[in-house]
Amino acid sequence: MELKWDKTRSLTLSRILTAAALAVAAAALFCIPVAAQWYDAVSERAPIYVQLTTCLYLTDLPVLLALWELLKMLSNIAAQKIFVSGNERCLRVISWCCFAVAAVWCVLGFWRKLAFFVAFIAVFAGLIVRVVKNLVAMAVTLREENDYTI
Amino acid sequence: MPIIVNLDVMMAKRKMSAGELAERIDITPANLSILKNNKAKAVRFSTLEAICRELDCQPGDVLEYVRDGEEGG
Repeated sequence: MELKWDKTRSLTLSRILTAAALAVAAAALFCIPVAAQWYDAVSERAPIYVQLTTCLYLTDLPVLLALWELLKMLSNIAAQKIFVSGNERCLRVISWCCFAVAAVWCVLGFWRKLAFFVAFIAVFAGLIVRVVKNLVAMAVTLREENDYTI
Repeated sequence: MPIIVNLDVMMAKRKMSAGELAERIDITPANLSILKNNKAKAVRFSTLEAICRELDCQPGDVLEYVRDGEEGG
């Protein structure tokens, strides 16, 4: 049996992966203290259990929100609502979530310099999402103009 | 929007219903409603031409420029 790949299947895969990531991020809320303990155990440097636990909790919340918004946007796309202000709002929230994660990891950078690298990646991702958000905003305006040209 | 579409006035003068005008100028009643209610962002010359032809009027009879702040006054 030949499996043909198309846009609908690709979208379905994206939705499944996003939902799975959301479930993992939600489950991670219960594993954060254990993960921080494990890090302190394997790290040869001064323990940062409290800082790391706080940082991971503060990271998980924007991550959950961003994934939820992503899932909403994918549902809109599946319903053929592509260039709508709802998607622009989703992208704006996602970009601010990225910046929030960057801010949290910047603070952790005072204890572990590598955290600045994570913060840099989060800022970079936030910027890219922000540019895409600006593109969608422009496309929404163009679509509205087109729809309201009689 | 400082451009006002006075389609209602001309339609009343010519005693033409919205449905009839929409059919004659070949646009949907929904689009004619957008035009009548000043929700349109732009009007194609072909649409304007059809409106003027069917209502036997000039573009100035259906379009009016009103300075910002003067609308509804």
